[in-house]
Amino acid sequence: MGDARNSAWCLAKKFTFPVRSIVTGALLGLVLALLVSSAAFAVTTTAVTTTAVTTTTTAPSLGQQEEQDAVDLTDRCLTCHAEKGIGVVDADGKAKDLYIAPQPYKDSAHGLLPCNACHTGFSHDPHQMVSNGEFFAQTANAACRNCHDDQFEMYKQSYHGELTRGGTVDGKGAPVCIDCHGTHAIQKVDSLEYKRSIPLVCGQCHGSRESTYLDTYHGKAVTLGREAAATCVDCHGDHSILPVGNPQSTLSSANILGTCQQCHPDATQGFTTFLVHVKPTSLKAPRIVFLVAFFYLSMIIVVFLFGGIHTLLYIYRGLKDGLYFKGGGH
Amino acid sequence: MTNGTDARDGVRLVYHRFSAFHRFNHYLVMISFFGLVMTGLPLKFKTSHWSQVAMDGLGGVAAAGFLHRVFAVVNILYFVLEGSYMFYYVVARKGPIFHEDSIVPGKKDWQDMKGMFRWFLGKSPKPQLNRFTYWEKFDFWALFAGTVLIGGSGLMMWFPEATTRILPGVALNVALVLHSNEAFLATGVIFIFVHFFSAHGRPESFPADQVIFSGYLPVEHYIHERPMEYQNRLKAGTLDQVVRPAPSAAKRRLFSWITAFVTVFAFLVSAYTLLLILWPLFF
Repeated sequence: MGDARNSAWCLAKKFTFPVRSIVTGALLGLVLALLVSSAAFAVTTTAVTTTAVTTTTTAPSLGQQEEQDAVDLTDRCLTCHAEKGIGVVDADGKAKDLYIAPQPYKDSAHGLLPCNACHTGFSHDPHQMVSNGEFFAQTANAACRNCHDDQFEMYKQSYHGELTRGGTVDGKGAPVCIDCHGTHAIQKVDSLEYKRSIPLVCGQCHGSRESTYLDTYHGKAVTLGREAAATCVDCHGDHSILPVGNPQSTLSSANILGTCQQCHPDATQGFTTFLVHVKPTSLKAPRIVFLVAFFYLSMIIVVFLFGGIHTLLYIYRGLKDGLYFKGGGH
Repeated sequence: MTNGTDARDGVRLVYHRFSAFHRFNHYLVMISFFGLVMTGLPLKFKTSHWSQVAMDGLGGVAAAGFLHRVFAVVNILYFVLEGSYMFYYVVARKGPIFHEDSIVPGKKDWQDMKGMFRWFLGKSPKPQLNRFTYWEKFDFWALFAGTVLIGGSGLMMWFPEATTRILPGVALNVALVLHSNEAFLATGVIFIFVHFFSAHGRPESFPADQVIFSGYLPVEHYIHERPMEYQNRLKAGTLDQVVRPAPSAAKRRLFSWITAFVTVFAFLVSAYTLLLILWPLFF
């Protein structure tokens, strides 16, 4: 049949589509016009104004000699602490690793500070073994305060700061500076890497909030590297963070609109009722959100299953009857 | 009157199935669908290594968001065009709505579906299919309804401030869940479970059905593939409405190249999408 068809096709005579060409051309022009106007439109509407919520501390500028001294001192500490396996056993019999990876520290925001800027109370010479591994955690906040006093004052007033003055939540003590910022590999707060780590850092204690946030557009965009998208701290506040129920909170009923408007200047009260921390497949989600999620889950299972079976059976019949490659594709 | 033979007066005849308008609309659907999937799906599968690759390749999340909106406008355009055509068909042309040739599902579709399953299992001959089969009607209406849902929810998230001036904030929660799930459903239907196979991968048209790009198919294929429509037209003497001389050799070659190009491109896009979706399951 194939030969007969080909020879027959060669007989085809002139066949033009004047009307079609005109219609197609006009429609293509329409598409181009729409594309260009939408492009201009999209550019103006997708630009989200970003507000720097986090306050940064300008590092005190070091002279060349001081810089060299700091590096020398750090290197001296690292002669021992860059040895893998260095550690102590603390009073409770727990092993404490004292290894410091040199390069991540030198690349960190504090890379030019000498070790004793934070680890106060150590002499330049080989120091006494410190048997209590918790020693530094207890003094950490005080060490940070030496340079970051403004942030520390805000932190002290915050709910996290309040927790340091007694009590635990779910068996966890208060988060101190290093629990959120890290220690030796501390990053600049305006870096993308730090921004991406924020939900994970908060999630150490607020786990369920982390996963629901990451499923919002903000969370997805930050995960994939959009710096302008909001993270936990852009809405909840950072050093001076307070529970949502507190009237002073950035998310209290009096303050929430202003918080949203930092990035969405046209937001109104209705905008603030968007629910960030919702798991759609949970029964605790708003009824309509749950129903939509449930509907789609059912649809996806039914349609994929039925379509898949239909397809496999069709292929089976096609192969069995030798229907493939018999002049398909017209 | 044509009696189903291939040639008339020495001119090769073809069955004319899709007008330039419908083929044009299918191009718009393709362009916007591929574009929207490539720029949107990485967000849904954000933990996949290939999502990051896609986003970086597109120039970042913000750039991908911009392109997503451009393709969304194409999506709206084909929807408006198809809607206008439907309006024209029903109101101006007074076309039959529940006729067996129309795209509206009917009793025959249910019977055809049962018949196809019996044929799959070797229990009866293949049903006599009409102008639109039940899987083609499913494709069409799934896309039509899906476009309303995904377009509506997409616009709500494009303009969240305007949306929440009218609706409560939970509407944006609904929009996000709906958009994301409908996108996944549509991607699965088009790329894997229904459309690519039922239109292009089934034995009769494998590896690609050229009819949606060229508009025509050889008459003998038509008789084999749409026996019911052919018989009805033969009886009613309306075969002349759909049988025409074949386009020129140059035009046929062009259609073959377009089909080949689109097939390879569609295969690459769906392979990448599948990789993007499945990667997090294994790594």
